[in-house]
Amino acid sequence: MKFTFKRGVHPADNKYIAKDFALSDFPTPAVVSIPLSQHIGAPAAAVVAVGDSVKVGSLIGKSVGFVSANVYSSVSGTVKDIVTIRTAIGSRCSHIVIENDGLYEESFFEPILAPDAASVKARVAEAGIVGMGGATFPTHVKLSPRTPVDVLIINAAECEPYITCDYRLCLEKTQEIFQGIEYMMIALGVSVAYIGVEDNKPDAISALSAFATDKIKVIPLVTKYPQGAEKQLIYSITKRVVPEGALPADVGAVVDNVHTAFAVYEAVALGKPSFMRAMTVSGKACLRPGNFFVRNGVSYHDVADFVGVTDNVKKVISGGPMMGFAQADLTPCTGKGTSSLLFLTEEEISSEIKPISACINCASCASHCPMRLMPMFIERAVEAEDALEAKKLHALSCLECGCCAYVCPARRPLVTSMRRAKKMIKEKGV
Amino acid sequence: MSKYIVSSSPHIANERTVTTIMLEVLIALIPAVVASVYFFGFYALFLEVLSVGAAIGAEALFNLITKKEQTITDCSAAVTGLLLALNLPVSVPFYVPIIGSAFAIVFVKMLFGGIGKNFANPAIAGRIFLLLAWSAAMTSFVKPIVWSNGEAFSYFRCILKGRDGLVDVAAVSTATPLASLRFGAAKEGLLAMFLGNVGGSLGETSALALLIGGVYLIVRRIIDWRVPVTFIGTVAVFALIYGAAKGQPLAYVLPSVLGGGLFLGAFFMATDYSTTPNTKLGLTVFAFGCGLITSLIRFFGSYPEGVSFAILLMNIVTPYIDKACRPRPFGYVQKKGAKA
Repeated sequence: MKFTFKRGVHPADNKYIAKDFALSDFPTPAVVSIPLSQHIGAPAAAVVAVGDSVKVGSLIGKSVGFVSANVYSSVSGTVKDIVTIRTAIGSRCSHIVIENDGLYEESFFEPILAPDAASVKARVAEAGIVGMGGATFPTHVKLSPRTPVDVLIINAAECEPYITCDYRLCLEKTQEIFQGIEYMMIALGVSVAYIGVEDNKPDAISALSAFATDKIKVIPLVTKYPQGAEKQLIYSITKRVVPEGALPADVGAVVDNVHTAFAVYEAVALGKPSFMRAMTVSGKACLRPGNFFVRNGVSYHDVADFVGVTDNVKKVISGGPMMGFAQADLTPCTGKGTSSLLFLTEEEISSEIKPISACINCASCASHCPMRLMPMFIERAVEAEDALEAKKLHALSCLECGCCAYVCPARRPLVTSMRRAKKMIKEKGV
Repeated sequence: MSKYIVSSSPHIANERTVTTIMLEVLIALIPAVVASVYFFGFYALFLEVLSVGAAIGAEALFNLITKKEQTITDCSAAVTGLLLALNLPVSVPFYVPIIGSAFAIVFVKMLFGGIGKNFANPAIAGRIFLLLAWSAAMTSFVKPIVWSNGEAFSYFRCILKGRDGLVDVAAVSTATPLASLRFGAAKEGLLAMFLGNVGGSLGETSALALLIGGVYLIVRRIIDWRVPVTFIGTVAVFALIYGAAKGQPLAYVLPSVLGGGLFLGAFFMATDYSTTPNTKLGLTVFAFGCGLITSLIRFFGSYPEGVSFAILLMNIVTPYIDKACRPRPFGYVQKKGAKA
């Protein structure tokens, strides 16, 4: 059986640029600015004041609700300032500015020696773990599904081009990942877990397979974007279809990123809260690409200075090229969801920046949409400001994966139209 | 102003653009162009160049006059012009393709808003316009040339007066295989029909040349295989049934499939993006309708050929096919009490 979903696209993966660089510690600068909003949900509330001294793993931002997450200091030193600056996704939030004393004194939790469902869930919430694939949904919420689930799916598809940090984790932290998955299975009370990896990463598949058991299986997925999208991944592996407007838990599945499993391992077995992550720095304008463990709060300026960026850089993207965010400058700082920073040359984005022309009705967008929508009609509904029609065309089901715009020969900004459609439907309340 | 480009995701795109699609269609038509020159001499090429030039010129002029952004570089006008030329008999005067192309571009395409907005295939509508305006010239066909007799330039005699310019009309006039099919089985050999060595329009006689181009477009994923397969398949099945009713089940199948404009229509005209449905199911319905109407016209209508009428009629119902064949999204849930 082939593990895949219908439709989708095949962009050049460009993973060769960074994939062979083993994970190394990124040199942390003298000052870090840690965002209090590194997750979907309410930003954490600052619990430190200017002048306070903190250690690595000190709580600096406290979760303010169920869908929120704690934020921890990634260095030891002194709180210098609390500022509001732009984040990588374009919103503004408070950042705790900490002067790094370079000592990295640690203040962690106690390891949990005999984990059970309650203690794992409590630790995951306490440690501020969020979805590390980039969606940054608080993990403790996912580990507390509203309906019973029977399968845990670990997303190691890494279907976005360029990004290789999950691949490196699979190779280098294999045992830790399996340990983390076991903790998550305890928390969820499930007896089966699948790790889905795209088959363009055979080394990762064989490394993981060495540890696979009857309970935790490795699934080689067909390499196709967006294989790592939650609903598509569930379908690829279990052939279950998540109904529109429903959650994966409604079909008995929970999907978490492989990096999240690693974070769970660290929090449970080592007592380490979430303040650091594996990150890929890549792109053809990047002189020394690689995969690094980067502490939260490192500004993109510091990242660019360390890896070296050539003058012909045309676009800087936080995240992958299909769903990531283009940066106007290098102000933002790394967080729990910063899976990659890409420095792209004109050559790499040349076809995307070609001029927009009229829709020729080729229906490529529709024939590649993994949600089987008709983006060209939704675009027309948006242009006509017809929110009802956009809703009837199921615009709310759009993943914003970008397949439609990727294939559009007229280069129409279809994802922008999808976002406008969703906004319009919400505003007009149809 | 940032030195970096800031725009919405996705930040990469595949190489295919409207222009490259149109260029690929032009590439796919090269075998048909070569065949037209081989069978009808250099006058065929002359007509094709005129037609393409007129189409591009008409679009450029229209944009200029209406102060719109110039669109000729997308090469879609060139495709329309070439397709129209391939629909003409070789014996038309030089102004016929010029008028036909200009009509197709201005009245069928640009007045509806240009590429993607027109409801009818411009080349098809252009051909039908010419058929009505110059009925005799558009329906009288001549025999393919014989190169060894030095006939490469012979049809240039048609340049001003069309078929009347030919000295000995009776010697070169011929019926198309489809016309003869209506009066019993086709006289022409099937091999000649497959290769194109028969009377007919410039680009429609050689099934082989069109097949090469059509397969190229399918392999390059420019067109959906369902359209030509369903269209041609429907015509074949209809011919089988018609033949069976006459006691000769197989007599009509291959002549129907290889004759007339079926291959040109099925591979290159019924696959136009703007004027055909947007889903695989819709395209299949569309192609089935094309095949059915083509067959009905061919066997029961007053014209020997019905491909262009069939495509035009199906162009008109395309929005309704699209509405009926709207796909259900992944994870679709039927709403309770919702209206269909």
